[in-house]
Amino acid sequence: MNLPLPAGVDTTGYRLGPPQRAGALTMVPVFGRAYPGIAPPRSGLKLSRVVTYGQVELTNPATSGVAIVPLHVGYIQDAAQNHALCRSAFIAAGQTLRFDDACCVQESQGGYLAERDQWFFILPVELRAAALRLRGTSQYSKLWGDIAAFNARHGLPARGHLEQVLTRKRAVLTQYQSRLELLDGQLGALFFIGDRLAGVEIAPDPVYFAEVWMALVCFAYGPAAWFAAPGPDVADPDDTFTAGTLDGVRAALERRRRRVAEEVGEWLARAAWRLGSPGGPGSPGGPGPTGEPGSLGELVEFVEEERYLDLRLSTVTGAAAGGQVVTDGSRLVYASLFAAA
Amino acid sequence: MTVPFARHLQHHATELRVPRAGALVWDDEAVHARAYAADPQHYALSALTPGVPATQRARVLLQLLLASRAGLGDPARDTLARVTRVLALGLAPADVLTVLLAVRRRRANHRHVTRTVLTVLLEHPHAAQIARARRGVAQDCLEHALGRATARACADALRRGDRPHPGRLRSALRPGTMQLVADLYRRNDGTAHVALPPAGGDLDLTGPRPATVTATNRGDLAATLVHLLRGGPTAELLPAVERYTGTAVAGLPRYDGTVALVLDDSASMRGYGEREWAVASQVAALRRVLDRVCARLVVVRAGGGQVGGTGRPGGATDLATAVLDALSGPVTPDVVAVVSDGYENVHPGDLARVTAALPGAGVPTPVVFCQATFGHADDLTLRRPAPALPRRTFWHTDDLAPLVLWMLSHVDGPAAHAWIGAELRRRLTAAEHALTLPTRTSEGGPR
Repeated sequence: MNLPLPAGVDTTGYRLGPPQRAGALTMVPVFGRAYPGIAPPRSGLKLSRVVTYGQVELTNPATSGVAIVPLHVGYIQDAAQNHALCRSAFIAAGQTLRFDDACCVQESQGGYLAERDQWFFILPVELRAAALRLRGTSQYSKLWGDIAAFNARHGLPARGHLEQVLTRKRAVLTQYQSRLELLDGQLGALFFIGDRLAGVEIAPDPVYFAEVWMALVCFAYGPAAWFAAPGPDVADPDDTFTAGTLDGVRAALERRRRRVAEEVGEWLARAAWRLGSPGGPGSPGGPGPTGEPGSLGELVEFVEEERYLDLRLSTVTGAAAGGQVVTDGSRLVYASLFAAA
Repeated sequence: MTVPFARHLQHHATELRVPRAGALVWDDEAVHARAYAADPQHYALSALTPGVPATQRARVLLQLLLASRAGLGDPARDTLARVTRVLALGLAPADVLTVLLAVRRRRANHRHVTRTVLTVLLEHPHAAQIARARRGVAQDCLEHALGRATARACADALRRGDRPHPGRLRSALRPGTMQLVADLYRRNDGTAHVALPPAGGDLDLTGPRPATVTATNRGDLAATLVHLLRGGPTAELLPAVERYTGTAVAGLPRYDGTVALVLDDSASMRGYGEREWAVASQVAALRRVLDRVCARLVVVRAGGGQVGGTGRPGGATDLATAVLDALSGPVTPDVVAVVSDGYENVHPGDLARVTAALPGAGVPTPVVFCQATFGHADDLTLRRPAPALPRRTFWHTDDLAPLVLWMLSHVDGPAAHAWIGAELRRRLTAAEHALTLPTRTSEGGPR
């Protein structure tokens, strides 16, 4: 299986592990070469204050190592208006960066987030395309309509309160970090909801990924999986093993495991996000839109947004998927890509 | 006690009823009668297996009262008398009165029935409250035990301050209990409704539990293991672990058989936040207890950290393959105990599919699921990987001995039979102690 990343991004050395499943959520672990020197998001990134609604300041308190802000990270605190960011960013060691295009995610809650008792999440995948589209827009209420529609789709009051899901469903959502298990050395994952590729998350190293794991599995992909199949896994009564010996049972189990792996491989092949390439069609300074329909060059925008030394942060926007990636030359450092609809 | 009967006791929880008119409603009477006939002592002791619901314990009491003890040797009569007494005084009085009414309905008039009725009505710590709450039922039971005329004559004699007949009542009467009989026949005094008292004791011998559970108040052994897993000083903690393991297994018989432990060592077993290491420590404690108790313990890990061979939880949860590995070793185990938090992700349902296929594959070895939880209130909705497997949760060091008993109750064979018998006798003595009962002979007198 290949990683569904923009063509031209070097994914040499990355490999996929065996899939794990919990309800409607399937996670395929990604292993690969660590990219050193990036500050991880929990220990290396602090929300220092909310200046005013829609303006959030993050600090990288480390003495070395640039922080890559996880795409669509958000912070939750009691008695304060919870905020999420619409984009990733670089924050050098010791620097504080103000995001003027943050969004409030709790419509009628007053109060500013402070440094105390904060925990972070990643926006649910169903909201991420809208959030990415709204990066650069300074309007704190800009995501309330999408949050209200998201809530309504899942039978909740149609209000711009993300906490209706993140907090009130927390007991079931947080179980995803136990239902699916982070492996030693894992630095990324593919997430499928049902048979559909929902996200590709690659971190610079396993420590970074471990720190963002709960936010991803529980809050970015957990809600969609939970709403798709709430409750425990229900076994298909026809999906049984029939064997006359212990070895026969083992063989039946192995056959089933192979079938699951092949099935996930088919889902991945079918996803065909066709994400274009750095310097490809649509990118500033890149060649014109020469891609043929159905080819990898069919799309898209691949727009560089920020630089830090050799690192480049780019936004990928396509019909089927979007997100942001960090590269060093052609080498992949960080990716957070998700299904667009 | 056969394995099917042990499972029946744990899972069949319909009510035992004595309607005002009509026959006693006892839907599994034949099952109990067969088990009693096969081995009366083991049958009686089986009621003390932890986790047996009260309604099944009441059935055992009923069976023990209905059956004649003629032809039984002294050891058997002694065991039956002790279990009868423990059940009569340990079960909830509401259940016990139902049993006594059922005995009356069946017109069973053995000496042990009379003795048990007098025990409940005169010796129960809340005898006066029972009489006030169910005066009519208590009168019926006493009259069944002594005969109506005799019982009423006794009550009259006691009211007059005379010595009552017959001797069997007189022997049960003490200065504090004479008034109870007299009060039983006092005319309704118009006082407010009195509720029946709760059960006289915990026959599961659960022991005290913390109201608020933390990672380190779940028993000494688990607490010490938590500190060890957190990186505490081994020089101080390891000897304590040995000491606390000794305490946990103190008095437990030695099992001369083979147990396979499928040990979930996956990442989720570590837990996080305030609960970090709580589940893993309790599983490690169980492993240590089994290692001391069993002649042969085979451990098969599912998952387990790989980085630097840390031996710490890590990886995914593949319980199905581990069960197959446990059954494929050079020694076939007597039982496979899967010990896990219940999160199965490679793949959900595989454990259920594999264990369901074992009988068809000619593998009779029982597989049981021991579910490690943080406390008594865990939501297990999403943590039942194989609902058809026998399952028991545990979270406190004091749960470990009952868990081993439950585990081995699924094993057929002389070694398990002997172990269970010995352990249940130990629990009988402990139950008598917990109910502060003087040990008595089969005839009811002090030993």
